[in-house]
Amino acid sequence: MKKLGILPRIYLAAVFVILYAPIFYLIYYSFNSGGGMSNFESFTLEHYEAVFQDTRLLIIVLNTLIIALLSGLLSTTIGVIGALAIYFMKNKSARQTVLSLNNILIVSPDVIIGASFLILFTLIGVKLGFASVLISHIAFSIPIVVIMVLPKLLEMSTTLIDAALDLGASRKDILTRVILPYIKPGIFAGFFLALTYSLDDFAVTFFVTGNGFSTLSVEIYSMARTGITLTINALSGLIFILTMVLVLGYYIIGNKAKSPQGVKK
Amino acid sequence: MKGLISSAFAIILVSGLLLFANYQLEHKAGQEGKDTISVYNWGEYIDPDLLTQFEEEEGIKVIYETFDSNEGMMGKIEQGGTAYDVTVPSEYAVQMMEEKDLLLPLDFSKIPNIKHIDPYFMNLPFDPDNHYSIPYFWGTVGIAYNASLLEGQTFESWESLWDASLRQKLIIVDSAREVMGVSLNSLGYSLNSTSLQELKEATDKLETMGPNVKAVIGDEVTQLMINNEASVALTWSGQAADMIYENDDIDYIVPEEGSNLWFDNIVIPRTSTNVEGAHKFINFMLDPEVAAQNADYVGYSTPNSSALSFMDEETTSDERFYPDEKARENLEVYENLGLETLGVYNELFLKFKMGLR
Repeated sequence: MKKLGILPRIYLAAVFVILYAPIFYLIYYSFNSGGGMSNFESFTLEHYEAVFQDTRLLIIVLNTLIIALLSGLLSTTIGVIGALAIYFMKNKSARQTVLSLNNILIVSPDVIIGASFLILFTLIGVKLGFASVLISHIAFSIPIVVIMVLPKLLEMSTTLIDAALDLGASRKDILTRVILPYIKPGIFAGFFLALTYSLDDFAVTFFVTGNGFSTLSVEIYSMARTGITLTINALSGLIFILTMVLVLGYYIIGNKAKSPQGVKK
Repeated sequence: MKGLISSAFAIILVSGLLLFANYQLEHKAGQEGKDTISVYNWGEYIDPDLLTQFEEEEGIKVIYETFDSNEGMMGKIEQGGTAYDVTVPSEYAVQMMEEKDLLLPLDFSKIPNIKHIDPYFMNLPFDPDNHYSIPYFWGTVGIAYNASLLEGQTFESWESLWDASLRQKLIIVDSAREVMGVSLNSLGYSLNSTSLQELKEATDKLETMGPNVKAVIGDEVTQLMINNEASVALTWSGQAADMIYENDDIDYIVPEEGSNLWFDNIVIPRTSTNVEGAHKFINFMLDPEVAAQNADYVGYSTPNSSALSFMDEETTSDERFYPDEKARENLEVYENLGLETLGVYNELFLKFKMGLR
C-alpha cells in the first residue's frame, strides 16, 4: 500500500471508529452484571453462560448457521451456473433481458419477496419450516451470486479459452481448469455475500418460518416490544468473533489463490 | 477446481455437524412425547422455565415461536401453512381475527382455572362472553417522565402535555389510536369517538401540541428514556415499567381524564391441530402460581387475581401498574370502530405527523 497522507488516514480511522463503535459498545455491555445497557455495574460472564443454557436460543442459532451455510453453498452453485449461462449467451438482447431480470430480484423489497413466497408455499402445500426457509434463502441469494461472478467472467480474456482449445482441451477441461480457477475469487465472494444475506435477513424469513423453525433475526425482532436482553448482546459478541474468524479464513484463502497465477490442476 | 470442491465438502461437513448438534439439542430439550402443541407469542413474553414445567407436567412438547406485530401474526395465520395451537393477539386483533373467522371458540369446561381471572377483565366489548379469548396481560397508556430532567411537572392531566415548557421534549408513540385518544380524552370525549366533529376538534388540538413533539417513534423510546436522552414520553405501561426498572428517576402516570386499557389475550387460532393440548396449555398458564411467576418474569400486569397473592407486595400494590378500581373507572377499552372510522383516525394522525415542523 502506498503511503497515505495524514488527513486521509484520520478520515479512514474516523470511518472505522463510527462503523465499529456500536458493535464494541454492544459487546462491552455483554459483560455488564446490571440488567441493561444504561450503566456498567461490574464484570460478569453470566450472559455468556445464559446463552449456552438457553437451549431454544442455541437451536435457533444453529438453525440460522445451517440455513446460511447450505443456502450459501446451493445458491453459489446455481448462481455460478447461471452466470456461465449468461456469459455464453449468444443473443445480446436475451442476455441483457436475463441480466435485468436478475437485477430486479436484487432491488425488489424483501417484504414482497417474503409475502409472495408465503403465498406460493401455502398454495403448493409446502409445510413452512426448514425447507421453506432454505428454498427462499437460496432464491434471494442466487441473483447476488450472479452479479458477483459475472464481472470476473467478463474480465477474463477470451484468448485464454482459445488457447486452451488450441492445446486440445475438451469442454470439460476448459470449464474445470480454465474458467473455474479464474473466477474462483468471484465464487468465494458470492458465497460469503450469500452467507451474510442469509444470516441477517428478517423480512423474507419472517414470512416463511413456521412449525417450530425460526432464525435468529426473527427471534431478535420479536423481542423489540419487551426489550432485548443482554443475552442477545453476548450472543452478538460470539457471532462477531465467529465472523471475524470467517473473514480471516476468507482472507487467507484469497491470498493463497492470488500467489500462483494461471492454470491449476 | 480442487479448492472449490474441497470447500464445498467442508461446508457440507460443517452443516452436517451443526445439524447433528441441533438434533441432539432438540432431543435434550423436549420430551419424546407424541403430543406437541405449537405456541406463537410475542418475543420475551413468557418465562421459558414455565414451558419446561408444562412439558414435564403434561407430557406435551411445546414448539415455541415468536412474532413482533399483531399484523404479521395474523398474516401468517390467515395464510395457513402453519399449525399454531395458541397465540396472543391484542384486543383489537382478537376482534379482527374473529371477523375473519380465524379463531376457535374456547371450551370453558376444559379451563377450570378461568375462575382466577378478575371478573373485571372478562366480558369486554372486543369479545363479549369471552367466546374466543382470555386476557393474558393488560396495561394502560400514560405518560412516562423523568423528574430529574424537568421542572416539577407531574402530568396529572393530559393538558400538561401541551405546556410550553415541554418544547421539543415530548416523545409520542407512533400509533394513531393512542395519540388521537390522548387528544380526545383531554377534551373529555371518549377515545372510541366516531363523531367527525369531535375528531376534528381533537385533531385541531393535537396540532397545537406540535412544537412540543420531539419524535414519533415506537419501542426505541425505552432506551432513550433510560439513557436520560428524553424526558417525557407518551407510552404503554409495560414499556414504562421497563424504564422504571432501569432508571430510578423515571415515573409513570395515567392522567385523571382517563386513558386506554389494553389487553393481550390467549386465543386458539383455526390452524390448531391439537385443540385438546391448547386448552391444557391455557389452563396451565392460568394457574395462579404459574401466572405469578410469569408476571414476575415479563413485568406486565396480570389479570389473574389469585396470582397477586403469590407476587411481590411491592409490585402488586404499585398503583401505577395495578390501578385500583376507582382509577380504572376512567379507563376505556378500544372498540372496533370499523374500517372506515379507523381510516379516518389513521388519516388524521398522518396529517398531524406530516404537519410536524
